[in-house]
Amino acid sequence: MAIVASAQRGTRRILAGADAWMNRLYGWRFNPLYHSGALVVALLLVVLVTGIYLLFFYRIGAPFASVARITDQVWLGRWIRGLHRYASDAAVVAALVHALRLFAQGRSWGPRTLAWVSGLVLLFTVFICGWTGYVMVWDVQGEVLARAGARLLDVLPIFSEPISRTFVGERPIPGAFFFLNLFAHIAIPIGLGLVVWLHVSRVARPALLPSRKLMWGVIGLLVALSLFWPVAMGPPADLFRLPAPAPFDWFYAFWVPLARPLSTGFVWAVTLAVAAATLLAPLWTRPARAARPPASWVDERLCTGCEQCYQDCPYDAIEMVERTENVKAGASATVARVDAGACVSCGICAGSCAPMGVGPPGRTGRDQLSRVQAFVAARRPGAKDVVIVGCDRGAGGIAAGESFHGALVYPVSCAGSLHTSVIEYLLRAGAGGVLVVSCPARDCWNREGPKWLEQRVYHKREAELRERVDRRRVRLAHAAVGETGGVVAELEAFRALLAELEAAPREAEFDVVRECDTAPEEAAR
Amino acid sequence: MTPLARRTTAIALALGSTLAIGALSRAPYTADRAAHGVVRLAWRARGERVEECRRLTPEELERLPAHMRQEESCEGRVLPYRLQLSIDGARVVDELVQAAGARHDRPLYVYRELTLQPGAHAIAVVFAREGAIPPGEREASEGTPPRLALDTTVALLSRRVLLVTYDDDARRLVLRDGSP
Ligand code: HEM
Ligand code: SF4
Ligand code: SF4
Repeated sequence: MAIVASAQRGTRRILAGADAWMNRLYGWRFNPLYHSGALVVALLLVVLVTGIYLLFFYRIGAPFASVARITDQVWLGRWIRGLHRYASDAAVVAALVHALRLFAQGRSWGPRTLAWVSGLVLLFTVFICGWTGYVMVWDVQGEVLARAGARLLDVLPIFSEPISRTFVGERPIPGAFFFLNLFAHIAIPIGLGLVVWLHVSRVARPALLPSRKLMWGVIGLLVALSLFWPVAMGPPADLFRLPAPAPFDWFYAFWVPLARPLSTGFVWAVTLAVAAATLLAPLWTRPARAARPPASWVDERLCTGCEQCYQDCPYDAIEMVERTENVKAGASATVARVDAGACVSCGICAGSCAPMGVGPPGRTGRDQLSRVQAFVAARRPGAKDVVIVGCDRGAGGIAAGESFHGALVYPVSCAGSLHTSVIEYLLRAGAGGVLVVSCPARDCWNREGPKWLEQRVYHKREAELRERVDRRRVRLAHAAVGETGGVVAELEAFRALLAELEAAPREAEFDVVRECDTAPEEAAR
Repeated sequence: MTPLARRTTAIALALGSTLAIGALSRAPYTADRAAHGVVRLAWRARGERVEECRRLTPEELERLPAHMRQEESCEGRVLPYRLQLSIDGARVVDELVQAAGARHDRPLYVYRELTLQPGAHAIAVVFAREGAIPPGEREASEGTPPRLALDTTVALLSRRVLLVTYDDDARRLVLRDGSP
């Protein structure tokens, strides 16, 4: 759908600007936008630990008074309560950024459907936890939230007695209400752990925590906030007064002013519509059938059973199975097999396979070689030329053009899918240097592309760049879409190095044996 | 940007976002700014349950499985009440309150809120059973009386709620304002 594509494009443009900014300020390793999903996990862990402390002091028989007592513990209770709240708030922000990124990057359909849907369940669960958490305090905000919730729930034919009646004041609010609320507040997080597990079940090696510096930085800031701007008690709930002015947490109570003037039917209709629309995103964000990239496949005649693609696939979509075809002497006992239902067509396996036996159709190592041959024939890179192999999704957005600042551009769908023989081919064909520009590692749409690429080029990971290739003529760099300037800087630095190399060959070609080892000849004379 | 400017901006942004979280977690809000008072009618009544029986026609019997064929079919329901409220002599509520539940066999719940200008108001509430108990059936003694009424003058304060509710022990409608 054109409108979805343009919404995604627009969101990507905003994120690109924000990413470039954050990379400049904090460096790509600590860009919080790249770590949003993992930050949610870290923040939820903080919420869990602080929540256990608060639980010791909370009394369902005296909710407001017991929270007030915690808040009066100047040394511990107050800031732990503050941290519990602020971490919950930050978790909402991080989760929204995380969801927005994945929407913008089109990572919301196909094999990612389970992650998408379970992510929404997670977000909803976090929201319900916050809601019940504020009801626990039983101040004005708690009462308003409880009443607003009761008003919505009472139209459902599931309760034998309207919940709203709990708050009319004819009798004190029964302890059972606060018990149930507390139970929900605690039982839901237990379920949360399970849903997080489900959420990342389709990705290999999920990055569950952000980089340490970033994590402790964020937690440190929230601790400082809870120390220097401690939470205070709002006015207590009073069933016999209109709700007094009170502090509200807009991360969890944002909907109250929106829903208040509307009929419950309308609020339900809007809620269900939003829920359905977001839950069905895997259908409406999915490209048309013809535009969907096909799953990877294995050419069993070429597969040697080395297991590298099986290890590298970021989505655990490859398994090793017993060979049933092409069984002959010397053939491996096992071959790789792609589970098409789990494959996102990232192409990373194509870069993993030295014999070029796996990859999405049209993007296997062999296909890449034919493509680079055609590229060389058409563009004829010379000794003074740098070829920039640029990732479509990042690389400062330069991969869309044919050339960039005088360098020839060779676009790829993911730098991690690049077969290292392409680099070698370009150099052998005469290019002065090859600059591979990927996305920053944590921003790889395919999760692990830059990591594997770097290991193949510099650390002899299987399907490595051959020893014989002059590493001085190869350079790896990364840049987010908005970081065109970064690519220019890398290119200039690389050109300077190549220029030094160009000056050097005469020296390198100096035949040490012929020039220096003259004694035998002279002796012969 | 110089390294110093970059570092300063980085710190300022981190602190600013943290403060924004603090501010948004406690932004003041008044859910109801009105100056009026509220009269809240809220109670739970146990109504009179009656059984209504009729003979099934031969065709209806035919359609039932053999082991369920009973000539008489009875359905229980709770008789409704009519709720009337007059304020300062004007009738503002006149409605039939059905027992809860899809088959109207659960208690009756009254929950109405009316806003009023602060000041003295004459309030008259009547909650009276509609429909008769079939002959031969006795009225259950623990049920809500067939007619409840409250006729009084109240001094309603701004932003306060006055509750009219049913006192189960006294078996009558009472006024409460939250004071112990
Ligand atoms: C609210 C709590 C959430 C937590 C704790 C969370 C956490 C995570 C983590 C740790 C990953 C793995 C990242 C990686 O290693 O690549 C992930 C992936 C993912 N998340 Fe979430 N997430 C949450 C909410 C959401 C929401 C609301 C959505 C979308 C509506 C979402 C959609 C996804 C998707 C689609 C992936 C898979 C990405 C891929 O396949 O490349 N998540 N999440
Ligand atoms: S990397 Fe290639 S050779 Fe190795 S298991 Fe996978 S398909 Fe087979
Ligand atoms: S393209 Fe290859 S690496 Fe990527 S998900 Fe599919 S099988 Fe895994």
